[in-house]
Amino acid sequence: MSPLHNLSEETLILLLKKKNQQAFSYLYDHYADALFGVVCRIVVSTEHAEEVIQDVFVKIWRYIDVFDAEKGRLYTWMINIARNTALDHRKSKAIVNEQKNQPLSNIVNREEEQDLSQGEQHTKADFIGFKNILDKLKPEWRILIEMAYYEGYTQQEIAEQLDVPLGTVKTRTRAAFIQLQQLLKEYR
Amino acid sequence: MDIRAYISSGIIESYVLGLASEEEVSILNCIRKNNSEVEQAIIEAEIALEDLADSQAIEMPMQLKQDIWNKLIVENLVPNEDHKIDETLVPSSTDHNDVIVMDTEKKMLVARSYKWTIAASLLLAVSIGANIFLYQRKQDTANKLNQTTSLLDAEQAKLATLQDKWALVQNPAIKTIPLKGVETKPDYLALVFWDQVSKTVYLSIEHMPVAPKGKQYQLWAMVDGKPVNAGVFPLDLKGDTASKMLDIPKAQAFAITLEDEGGKDVPTLTALCVMGSI
Repeated sequence: MSPLHNLSEETLILLLKKKNQQAFSYLYDHYADALFGVVCRIVVSTEHAEEVIQDVFVKIWRYIDVFDAEKGRLYTWMINIARNTALDHRKSKAIVNEQKNQPLSNIVNREEEQDLSQGEQHTKADFIGFKNILDKLKPEWRILIEMAYYEGYTQQEIAEQLDVPLGTVKTRTRAAFIQLQQLLKEYR
Repeated sequence: MDIRAYISSGIIESYVLGLASEEEVSILNCIRKNNSEVEQAIIEAEIALEDLADSQAIEMPMQLKQDIWNKLIVENLVPNEDHKIDETLVPSSTDHNDVIVMDTEKKMLVARSYKWTIAASLLLAVSIGANIFLYQRKQDTANKLNQTTSLLDAEQAKLATLQDKWALVQNPAIKTIPLKGVETKPDYLALVFWDQVSKTVYLSIEHMPVAPKGKQYQLWAMVDGKPVNAGVFPLDLKGDTASKMLDIPKAQAFAITLEDEGGKDVPTLTALCVMGSI
């Protein structure tokens, strides 16, 4: 499922700044599922994810006035809000420490189980789609995206954990992106 | 700077993942403004993460749309006039879930409009009550103002009367002659102000009943033992107002009789009320 972002970002920004029901409806209908997907992969339970996604919308709504289109894309900005809010929530639950001590493959597996246990057929299907795309990445590249994007590790921490030089982490991350871009083109 | 080397270093990916340091970010922001290749690479990396988010979307639980909207209202982030659910704004869709969402919203719309109706009715009732109260207050105030105004008029008339009389009394040419009640009417009193220069006579009835209907008080001057008509006291005038009567050049006494309206040529002695000699 690919949400139809059929309004241009410029139009959407203008719409959002009006803060009316129409703006909210559009924002929700076209971006909520994607943002929820980001949140669900970061926080531990669906219950928490539902809490966090509400905060995400409140933040988007509150800070849209200070959003500067010259400094970046709106959708990216919203994804970053979702990601940072979810990561903050994770840290506040002090779960991050617990998980850092576990082998990394377990983290990924646990999260997958978490998401799969949400019960909805639709969710499972979506999740499998997502898993397939990242699974198509070279494993040593995929782990970098997982750790950085969903776990909130710094590249320095990743370098230490994986026992590779920092420069290598950076160039591999770039390689991972390039492959991901190819895979997503096929997906679309 | 070698742009290719800069891009290959992975800095752009670090940036879009939110992992770049502050220093790296400020350098990157500076470069992107002046280099379209870097700008393009950033946009592509961002789009990659956006597409990734699209590809891994998870359907939101149905009720959250309304929950979040309510939360925005509670947090005071929605302009007041937009609190209602406008169903025309919910995108039409044949998707089953969306239909349910719409139904839920309609129900909430109905529930909300009931609430609004009740609230509006209460406000209307309060408003009507307040209006009635204020209207009555206004009427009261208007009545009081009218009363006060007429009281003031009356007081001013009295004052004018007294000032007139005072002027008469103060005038050294004026002679004041009290006319006292006859034996049967001991408490009667009237005053005659007689200008010795102009011979003008003024009469003020101080303490006598208002003339009965069809009757009128008539003033007489006793000139050398004979009564001379000095005029009737105006019916429309209050007793204590000094009224100008007929000029009397010479007299030894004054008297008042109660005569038929219009007065008579000869006084009815049985109707004598007051008299006073000079």
